[in-house]
Amino acid sequence: MKNFIGARSMPDLIYHSPNDLDDLMSLLKNAKQKDGDFKIVAGCTDFIPAVRTGRWAFNDGVNIIDIKKIKALEYIKKEDNMLKIGACTRLTQILESSQVNENAQILAQAAIQMASLQVRNTATIGGNICMSSPAADMAPALLVLGAKVTLKDPKGEREIFLKDFFTGPGQNVLKPDQILTQISFPIMGNDKAAHFLKIGTRTAVIISVVSAAVCLGIKNGVCENPKIALGSVAPTPIRIRKAENFLNHKILDDPTIEQCAKIVFEEVSPITDLRSGEEYRKDMARTLVRRAIVACREKLE
Amino acid sequence: MKKREERLILGKGQYTDDLDFANMAHLVFVGSPHAHAKIVSINSEKAVKLPGVLKVITGRDMMEHTYPLPVQANFKGEGWTWRLVHVYAIPEDKVRWFGEPVAAVVAEDEDTARVAADLIEVEYDQLPLAGNAVEALAPGAPKLYDDWEDNKQVHLKFDFGDPDKAFEMADQVLRVTNREGRVTGLPIEPRGCVGVYDHRNDFLEMWGSFQTPFLSRHNIAATLGMPEAKVKINSVDIGGAFGLKIHAWKENVVALASKLIERPVKWIEPHRDFMATGPHQRDVVFEGDIAFKNDGTLLGLKAQVTHDLGVESTNKGIAALSIFPACSSPTNMYKWVGMHVEGIGVVTNKSFYCAYRGYGKDKGIKFIETAINQVAKKLGMTPEAIRFKNFIQPHEFPFHQINNYMLDSGDYPAILNKAIEMADLDTLRKKKKKLEPAGQYLGIGIITSIEPAGVAVPNCQMGGITQARVLMTPDGSVEVYSDRTEIGQGSEISHAVIAADILGMEHEDIHIKKVTSDFIGQGPLSSRGAVYPASAVAKASKLLKQKIIHCASTLLNIERSEVVVEKGYIFCASDEKKRLSYKEFAEKVFFFPGPRGLDPEMLKNHDHLLDVTTTWYSPTTPESGSAYTTFCVSADIAAVEVDIETGVSKIIKYVHVHDAGTIINQQVVDSQIHGGIVQGIGEALYESLDYDSDGRLMNTSFSNYFIPTSVEAPDIEIAHLETPSPFSETGSKGMGEAPIIGSKAVILDAIEDALSCFNIRVNDSPATPEKVRKWIIEATKKHNGAA
Amino acid sequence: MKISLSLNINGQDMELEIDAKQTLLEVLRNNTKFQSVHRSCEEGECGACTVLLDNEPVNSCLILAASVQGATILTSEGLIKNGKPHPLMKAFTDELGIQCGFCTPGMLMTSYAVVNKSGKKELTDKEIRKSLEGNLCRCTGYINIVKSVKQAQKAKNAGEWW
Repeated sequence: MKNFIGARSMPDLIYHSPNDLDDLMSLLKNAKQKDGDFKIVAGCTDFIPAVRTGRWAFNDGVNIIDIKKIKALEYIKKEDNMLKIGACTRLTQILESSQVNENAQILAQAAIQMASLQVRNTATIGGNICMSSPAADMAPALLVLGAKVTLKDPKGEREIFLKDFFTGPGQNVLKPDQILTQISFPIMGNDKAAHFLKIGTRTAVIISVVSAAVCLGIKNGVCENPKIALGSVAPTPIRIRKAENFLNHKILDDPTIEQCAKIVFEEVSPITDLRSGEEYRKDMARTLVRRAIVACREKLE
Repeated sequence: MKKREERLILGKGQYTDDLDFANMAHLVFVGSPHAHAKIVSINSEKAVKLPGVLKVITGRDMMEHTYPLPVQANFKGEGWTWRLVHVYAIPEDKVRWFGEPVAAVVAEDEDTARVAADLIEVEYDQLPLAGNAVEALAPGAPKLYDDWEDNKQVHLKFDFGDPDKAFEMADQVLRVTNREGRVTGLPIEPRGCVGVYDHRNDFLEMWGSFQTPFLSRHNIAATLGMPEAKVKINSVDIGGAFGLKIHAWKENVVALASKLIERPVKWIEPHRDFMATGPHQRDVVFEGDIAFKNDGTLLGLKAQVTHDLGVESTNKGIAALSIFPACSSPTNMYKWVGMHVEGIGVVTNKSFYCAYRGYGKDKGIKFIETAINQVAKKLGMTPEAIRFKNFIQPHEFPFHQINNYMLDSGDYPAILNKAIEMADLDTLRKKKKKLEPAGQYLGIGIITSIEPAGVAVPNCQMGGITQARVLMTPDGSVEVYSDRTEIGQGSEISHAVIAADILGMEHEDIHIKKVTSDFIGQGPLSSRGAVYPASAVAKASKLLKQKIIHCASTLLNIERSEVVVEKGYIFCASDEKKRLSYKEFAEKVFFFPGPRGLDPEMLKNHDHLLDVTTTWYSPTTPESGSAYTTFCVSADIAAVEVDIETGVSKIIKYVHVHDAGTIINQQVVDSQIHGGIVQGIGEALYESLDYDSDGRLMNTSFSNYFIPTSVEAPDIEIAHLETPSPFSETGSKGMGEAPIIGSKAVILDAIEDALSCFNIRVNDSPATPEKVRKWIIEATKKHNGAA
Repeated sequence: MKISLSLNINGQDMELEIDAKQTLLEVLRNNTKFQSVHRSCEEGECGACTVLLDNEPVNSCLILAASVQGATILTSEGLIKNGKPHPLMKAFTDELGIQCGFCTPGMLMTSYAVVNKSGKKELTDKEIRKSLEGNLCRCTGYINIVKSVKQAQKAKNAGEWW
């Protein structure tokens, strides 16, 4: 077992800062053949604590490939009725963006509740997703927006749904020489509403005990195409299909919403950890989903 | 007046981490990943081979070069259990808690030391665990210290007044239980120091975040086997302390390292170390029976408080000592017939227990206050009514309490009345009634408390020792020395105000010196600052003033009774033209008073030496046996809204009325109140040190030990009453700990009130959302089951 | 890996030789001796090391110095102009937005950025509290800090600001 050490030193590192995607791709191509570890970073807000605590150790040094300087990865743009966000866009840019606030306010809602001002000024949306924490607050919000992520490696590029990206706590489909370049999702029409809620032991600067996002429309008095996603209740951020199917085409009255929330309660099987017990997580999943649905309904009324 | 504050705001502070000495090496501790294990072997070969590594110190080196940590408080005998252990700053044979240092690496730079720390190979043989007080007290539990019979370190039994009579007189008896979670003070700056051993003079000097340099010197010198005269401890700017920087323990290893390598050695403790291996507090179960009459008259208490101490404190006996105030403070501000309180301290495989704002007074008062609120509820009385009925009345001071506390002054009913008025209690209660049917749960908490401040355990090491020196330099300004380190509590401002007011000088001309171990005293602990050191400074200033008057009367050729000191001048009351500025005065006294300028009598008596060193001792302690000299008074009223679906509590109103006697500087007092209340809120709602089943501390960072941020901290409305203490030199009362005592109790009381329709006892802190929600679910189930 | 780093710190262009593994915090404290930038948690949780990086508050302990090549850094030392305390500093002194002083330089930098960003708008207590969420203070209970920021904002609106 490792010694208990209050703060570990940073590893010896070789620092690479590609200026554009081509540079990055050729670096990744070479990095693969090189000896030793390499790590792709952007904000570093997770990298440094992971090293200090010894969660990540690089005894023989590490190649750091910092993609933050790649301007082509920092944008928020509206294109083909889609909102597209570059991976290196910082959380502050997201929550202050008029594009986001007009077209996907739920993202700003999630971003403002994440970490602190200082961290939001540094951390990127791509980083939050690539760290693939079950508690990543951006994830549920993006999941209900039906987001896709673009993955790029020296061989090419492909787009997959975000829901297929996560594979476990801290795990995802990214190959070592692959990066996430973009997050995109269809722009939400006025006939839809979305809402994000989270709960933690404290209000501010808190990792979620549970986070919940809901997006739905109401057409002819019935709920249409609802999406429900949760964080911190499973090894990855998840959608709750059963609850979504239940809600679809139903009148959003209180008993229906309660019934939907109950399905959520039954569907999730979270773990007990330092932040919370399993029971409370299930309970909060139910309450937050109910409240988020009600909030959506109010927004649409 | 705010010289220090301005300097720090301008970024000119010099905290420990800012210290730099030529040829300075750096030290990093290597901690055990196990909570209880035999150390089989330590292999530091790889670490030593790393370029830049200078030395690895292990328990064996400590055995060879140092003595066991010295005992600081020993109350053996009198039918009490009081066990102490002889341990070294780094153990040789076994580790007893997660993170306990097994080695220290000294290297040219901190980074190298950190790398090398990972290269130390330690082989352990894990031992079964005594993970908490219940486990540790169980028959056959694994023992922490082999030569003890069991894990009980302390068992104290107190009888105050006539407890049996109290229970005979009672109409009713109510059982009350309170549990408090394990917490830590956690200043933003962790511990740290630089040790500089001068081998030519065999002299050790240390600089660092020392709250009590005089006490630390004793500890460090004894450990190193050096005469105290050969050791000097200097406090630099301290980034918060709250009691946690009283201890000297890892500092001893730093001192030894400097001695062994004959170079300055610096150690800055990472926060994770500070949390895992730093002082902890609370973690108590307080339970007992309170006896009362049907009319609400309080009579007595029979109670027991069990402390989960963790390992025996690094300052031997100091943790156990905090059990005294826990047992004696339940008398609070009421009249009683008698109490019997037993305090038990159990050692467990957790980090050690030591001082943190409250130091036990908080436990006793919190317990009795919540108990009284239970009694009120049972009798259908309001919390204020039961208090008004039992308060000691203003005309009864000084009041000799059954536990020997000599209560100095105050107007308890007035304090509570003022709080009720400010909180607009009636309106709040109406609002509560109105909101409840709408599914909004508002609760109002009411707590009143006194803070026993300025400790001086009679006839022992803690006997109030304090020393101050006030002197005038030849340029006419004044230097003030004392044992009261500035830890953010405003000691420099206070001392400047006290000296300036007495000497009739401008604040700018008073220079408060940094505290070193040269000045005798226990330093600022147990809210002593405004009692002992401030009184000593005031007394020294008054004595200096007499000397100044004497000198001035001869220099101005006037009667002593005619001398006035004011605004930087010394002049004749009847003829203001006869005047000297302090600068002119000091020049004359020191250098050229002129022929026969000074009175020969004065020279013979050394009254021209404008330098006074004095001490101050409580006027009440020797005769009454009162361990405290002043008792500041507070009333806290809080309104909290509980979201019953999530368990989240939100503070919507907070009122605090305070009587700290004569206020030296209101901004400082207010700021202490703000900070203490918010710390108490942290304790009530969020903060909890939790160990897993293997005895490993799970929260070792700010990301999972939740202190309040600016978002959770509420606005606080404050009012002051000023009833000067007749027992302190300035009329001021110590007040540093009072705010945390009331706040942590009042928030829980408000939550309980908010949930009154569920009939829940909120008796387990912190009341996290998860816990509150659990209580609600259980209560609902119980209710439905009963229905 | 040694690298040369160009930074503008507190208005001064600097060329520094650093190791790629150094954080911005380490460079500011150890290489350039801007020691108002305090080291505490080293994990981005407490805010004591807050500096402005191109006008935005960041935790300097969470930033590799190598990654901010060419950036503009402001520490609280840089708020002082011709030896004169910044009006924000004066506000913290007047309102006693300080006790032990350890969190203060970081608190100042966040406050400075927030007041600058607010334009002429008077920030509410709630907004001020939200923006200071990443600067932990264990002494003051934050009340006098909020008051200090409010006074600073008044000073700014009165034109006493730089």
